[in-house]
Amino acid sequence: MTDDASVIRARAASVLEAGTVLSSSTIEERAHWLAEAATALAQKAHEGRAALSEATGLSIPMIEWATRTTVGTVAEDAMLALTQDARKAIDRAPDPIAMLSVILAGNVFTASVRGIVVPLLFGVPVLVKASSRETVFPAMLRDALRSADSRLGAAMSLVEFPGGDIEREAALVESAEAVSVYGSDETVAAMAACVEDIPLVAHGHGVSVAYCGSAALDDAHIGRTIDDLSLDICAYDQRGCLSPQLVYVEETPYRSATDFAERLAEKGLGPMSRTLPRGPLPVSVGAAQAQWRGIAEVEGALLRGDTFAVSIREAQPIRWSPGFRNVTLVPVSALDEALRAMQAIGSNLKCVGADPASISEVQARLAHGSTLSAYACALGAMQTPPLDAPADGRPIWHGLFRT
Amino acid sequence: MTTRAELKARIETLIATFEAGQLVDAAARDGLIEDLAAWQAKRIPEYGRLQRHGAWPPALPTDVFRFRRIAAHPEEEDLRVFRSSGTTSSERSVHAYCDLGLYDVAARVAARHMLFPDVDKMRLVILAPHEDEAPDASLEYMLARFAEWFGTECAWVWRRGALDLELLTERLRHAEASGEPVAVLGTSFAFVHAEDGLGEQRFDLPPGSRVMQTGGYKGRSREVDPEVLLAAIGARYRVAAPRIINEFGATELSSQMYETTLREDIDGPPGPRRLWAPPWVRATPVDPDTLQPVEGKTVGILRIDDTANLDSVCCIQTADLAQRLGDGIIVLGRVLGATPRGCSLAADQALGAQ
Repeated sequence: MTDDASVIRARAASVLEAGTVLSSSTIEERAHWLAEAATALAQKAHEGRAALSEATGLSIPMIEWATRTTVGTVAEDAMLALTQDARKAIDRAPDPIAMLSVILAGNVFTASVRGIVVPLLFGVPVLVKASSRETVFPAMLRDALRSADSRLGAAMSLVEFPGGDIEREAALVESAEAVSVYGSDETVAAMAACVEDIPLVAHGHGVSVAYCGSAALDDAHIGRTIDDLSLDICAYDQRGCLSPQLVYVEETPYRSATDFAERLAEKGLGPMSRTLPRGPLPVSVGAAQAQWRGIAEVEGALLRGDTFAVSIREAQPIRWSPGFRNVTLVPVSALDEALRAMQAIGSNLKCVGADPASISEVQARLAHGSTLSAYACALGAMQTPPLDAPADGRPIWHGLFRT
Repeated sequence: MTTRAELKARIETLIATFEAGQLVDAAARDGLIEDLAAWQAKRIPEYGRLQRHGAWPPALPTDVFRFRRIAAHPEEEDLRVFRSSGTTSSERSVHAYCDLGLYDVAARVAARHMLFPDVDKMRLVILAPHEDEAPDASLEYMLARFAEWFGTECAWVWRRGALDLELLTERLRHAEASGEPVAVLGTSFAFVHAEDGLGEQRFDLPPGSRVMQTGGYKGRSREVDPEVLLAAIGARYRVAAPRIINEFGATELSSQMYETTLREDIDGPPGPRRLWAPPWVRATPVDPDTLQPVEGKTVGILRIDDTANLDSVCCIQTADLAQRLGDGIIVLGRVLGATPRGCSLAADQALGAQ
């Protein structure tokens, strides 16, 4: 079932009107409603976990984990802190835009939460185009917003139509004051051509990496390192732009990359394939996986599990895996070497997960570098960004206020 | 210790057995695949690194041909090097031959069986460049040999990068007038160019005529659904659907597979359209996780063990999706991107950037 241009225009008008009502509420009221909506969303997702699993291709335990960790970020205190940060950063009273149109991707189903909750928090109504591949969770979010407060619910509407339909894409954006696009670079480029002079906030192609320094590999810490890294790799079956594709491992005389890889497979990814099982592998991805794994064996070494593989190879050339728990370990001598290797990824690098002993230095080096816009975060939290985590090198509220 | 000469002799015997109309023992073929794989693993370090999974030797992914030289012989012994199409070196598979004897016999025997089973020679119209214009393309090499083996006369109507519509029309009108059947052979994208360029012109090719199309599009023409192209070709040249077949080949392979309908139209009984693998080839859809053969009609990824690949690697893992249909295979193409990738960097894009 898809919506035609007249329906999209009608929903845009309705959302725009609801925005004027929403803007008369206070930040505190909206934070409260949103927190209530998050609770309702958690319940709906739990009840609809089988449908979500079917729609996303993720296992039910993964659906439960993803929902729990995402909804957990939508807390009243976190939202109020975010609004204060925004006020400080823009150094004046925020002037929210009249409406944001959001185009969602289908790879990480919970990504819609941040993309929708944050505008609503700032009083910006949103017209959302769900991914044609995944419409179940955005509909649950819409229903949760409506159940929390009618004014909040009216300020978010959902439309569905196939991408590439010029008339309907025009209807989606024509009333918006900004457009936020999640998806492939092709999708972003197509929307950029469509929006003309409407500001576009692009969330295009991206990858993430992890860094494990020597301190994370010693006997006292390696258990936690393996647990955290395994979670980052397995979350969303490594389909998101915050999923680590490459893990730079600082080898020590006591811990080689091979030893680390074996431990990652045996103690981390193997057990996690039972607690957070991978979803079914689409055969088209399987074709890419077979090619990637074969090349990994030819050019380095490969450890295979039932539903994962760990490749050990040099930093260059980079061979991107198709995700689905196929990860590369790159031995390095120190952080310098890892950062040099990351330069090749350039602006596509979104996040660098780092062990507790390394994170400060990674953060500082990324902040002072000129070519990378990635942010650093703790291992184990790469896939659970807080509400205020930057998006594509910009504050999460970017595009929501008039300048 | 097995020698190359011994292996080559066994491959030739397998093909000759089939050519003589005798049954090829699948167990003998499978044993040959084992011996070939063992011999190649000792000589090609890249292949030797692959781990075995299950009963069969490991299969080398086709992508490896893009990044590494895969040959059991030194570069100075290269007789011919085939490259797949593409614009950058990392997009082009490279397959080096020191001996084209097996390629030739495999191509000739398979084409005789599936494409020219009823005629010794016939007129050929080829919608592809002559091998002089594309000396590193295996398809053009094969078509040039077809011209020698199966052609009474041959018109190459793809010249200097474009379809020569005038020559194509003239050759087809000549076939109509003479009543002599013609085989029209070419790439799918060339047939699309013909569709786009011929406008309202229609042909009524004589009975016995046939069409063989091959390959994908790779951006060289608009993409057309295979069923639509099949219908368009049938209507354009007035050739019955069973007589329009696809050939499946690849730069990484020395043997070709053909759709069955032409052969079955000639000597029956008719069956569903599917690919026939020559008996010296083992074509198997495998599970992408386990790399083991899938059951029944389950869609898998196509593994091809081509014994004619003596001097490279016999066991090849393609990225094509395929399923069994009776005694044949249906190739469903590559559906990369069908799965949500969202903001993940497209692998090909990144690989291309290396």
